[in-house]
Amino acid sequence: MIVDVNAYLGHFAFRRLRHNTAAALLALMDSMKIDKAVVSSAGAITYRNAQAGNEEVAAEIRDHRDRLIPLAVVNPFYAGWQDDLKACHEEFGMAGLRLYPKWHNYSLSSPCCQELVNAAAERGLVISIPIRVEDNRERSWLLNVPDVPLEEIVELVKAHPKARFILLNGIGYTGCPLGRKDNGLPSNYAIELSRLSAVLANELGQLIANLGAERVMFGTGMPFNYPDPALVKLEVLDTSEPEKEKIRSQNAIAWLRL
Amino acid sequence: MTIPQTTSSPPAPQPRVSRRTFLKGSAAATVAIGVAALPSAIAAVEQPVPGTSSGPLRKGKVIDCHAHLTHHSRATWKADDRKLIEAADKLGIDQLCCSTLTPRWPATLDGFRECNQWTADGMQMFTGRVLGYCYVNPGYGREAMEEIRRYVGDHGFIGIKLYNEYTCTEPVVFPIVELAIELGVPILHHASHSHYFVEDQPRLTDGGHLAELARRYPEAMLICAHISGGGDWEWTIKALRHAPNVLLDTSGSVTDADTVDMAVDVVGVDRLVFGCDSSMTAGVGKIRGANLGIQDKEKILGENMMKLLRRRKS
Repeated sequence: MIVDVNAYLGHFAFRRLRHNTAAALLALMDSMKIDKAVVSSAGAITYRNAQAGNEEVAAEIRDHRDRLIPLAVVNPFYAGWQDDLKACHEEFGMAGLRLYPKWHNYSLSSPCCQELVNAAAERGLVISIPIRVEDNRERSWLLNVPDVPLEEIVELVKAHPKARFILLNGIGYTGCPLGRKDNGLPSNYAIELSRLSAVLANELGQLIANLGAERVMFGTGMPFNYPDPALVKLEVLDTSEPEKEKIRSQNAIAWLRL
Repeated sequence: MTIPQTTSSPPAPQPRVSRRTFLKGSAAATVAIGVAALPSAIAAVEQPVPGTSSGPLRKGKVIDCHAHLTHHSRATWKADDRKLIEAADKLGIDQLCCSTLTPRWPATLDGFRECNQWTADGMQMFTGRVLGYCYVNPGYGREAMEEIRRYVGDHGFIGIKLYNEYTCTEPVVFPIVELAIELGVPILHHASHSHYFVEDQPRLTDGGHLAELARRYPEAMLICAHISGGGDWEWTIKALRHAPNVLLDTSGSVTDADTVDMAVDVVGVDRLVFGCDSSMTAGVGKIRGANLGIQDKEKILGENMMKLLRRRKS
């Protein structure tokens, strides 16, 4: 089984996405033999009211709950986020959150964000954080959104040992405490592989060695990305089949209680 | 510098992307092509590739048009170069068109000279796997031209690599382009288009500049580097639509869906060449993911580059 923890539905403000409806994404997943995908709203990245994107996703996946696992995009600085969180969890059955601190212009260490993280942890929701949405060099002339610095993630995971974080679209973990062995950090975060090198520097292999295969998850970033590069990483990964199985699906199943 | 000659056979069995998988589950063509009348450098390009499943004289060879060997100031350069070949083995890449770049720009004369010697050494060390680009800073005029004649003419390099020392439309670049035409070899030009000023690359070339250069020199064979690591790829593809003698290199770390598909739609499949620029799984995955038939993928993966290399004049 393959579970993709890094997928999206809907429109992105700056580029056309194909395969961005439930039907089209499922067709793409079928062609790639990906069984389940964890999805959130691409539109909510730039909507002022992110909840509108969550509602779109909830409607879109209604008939596909067996394969599409929804996450809520929540901005803790936007009015009514507590109501939105409650609705996403209790009405829409969303399994966690996706946070965009740079796109939504807040700090991960701000009291509002801490309140949201605590609320998510109390509900048992995972919190996934895309380190980036797209490569900064191709950004629109309208804005300049930096990647989330990994140092800020270090402080976040330290401050919230009971919360569970899945880090998406990141790279360079081995250059900071997050990817180092015996780093003194709680083991409350997992790292998704879509941007990690699997040959040459082989950061993927280093993370498995340093943190354990239990802390690495498969993800593609589709439909922003072609799913194939992530699948190729799994194919060339030089590790045991049981470890690959953890990365392909078992870790996601355990963390998301699928 | 002399480097002991070794074979490039892959080590013990490791996970590997088979050619079949590379082409998304389809059988690869294995039709032989002749080399009898080809110039010697091209014959070298088509030598048997040790340690790979692809035969020497057939369609279906996978050529990475944009690769780099490691500068020797890096202590691990030998191991890094070896890893590049091992990665190519794992991913089913038969040959890598490599340059060695200086760690700082603009490159000095001594700087690019030693780089080219190291590339030549790499071609010897990984015989049949590494093909060389001659890297020069066009600002060195006569010396740069001599360097190209030496390495393309005497050492069998397959083309010229230009970086960001000058925008490609600056007159200082023109003699290099004219020499490339004379020799019948391609120029792989670093390129990127961002919607902001790139401060550390003030003379950065983009697809629009390359289109302008292509209009000035319609006989030139130009390759626009890394559309998937060069900023707004949609802009780049559109800027190159009407520049038939510019090929687009698919390399780069960005794996945005639709990149290869849009490039094929806009400029045609005959103008795309596969590359990685050290982002190996990204490079392979993009081609695998593109919604194209096998024949089109074969063109991108190697045939289009082979076609360019056969235009060599000596």
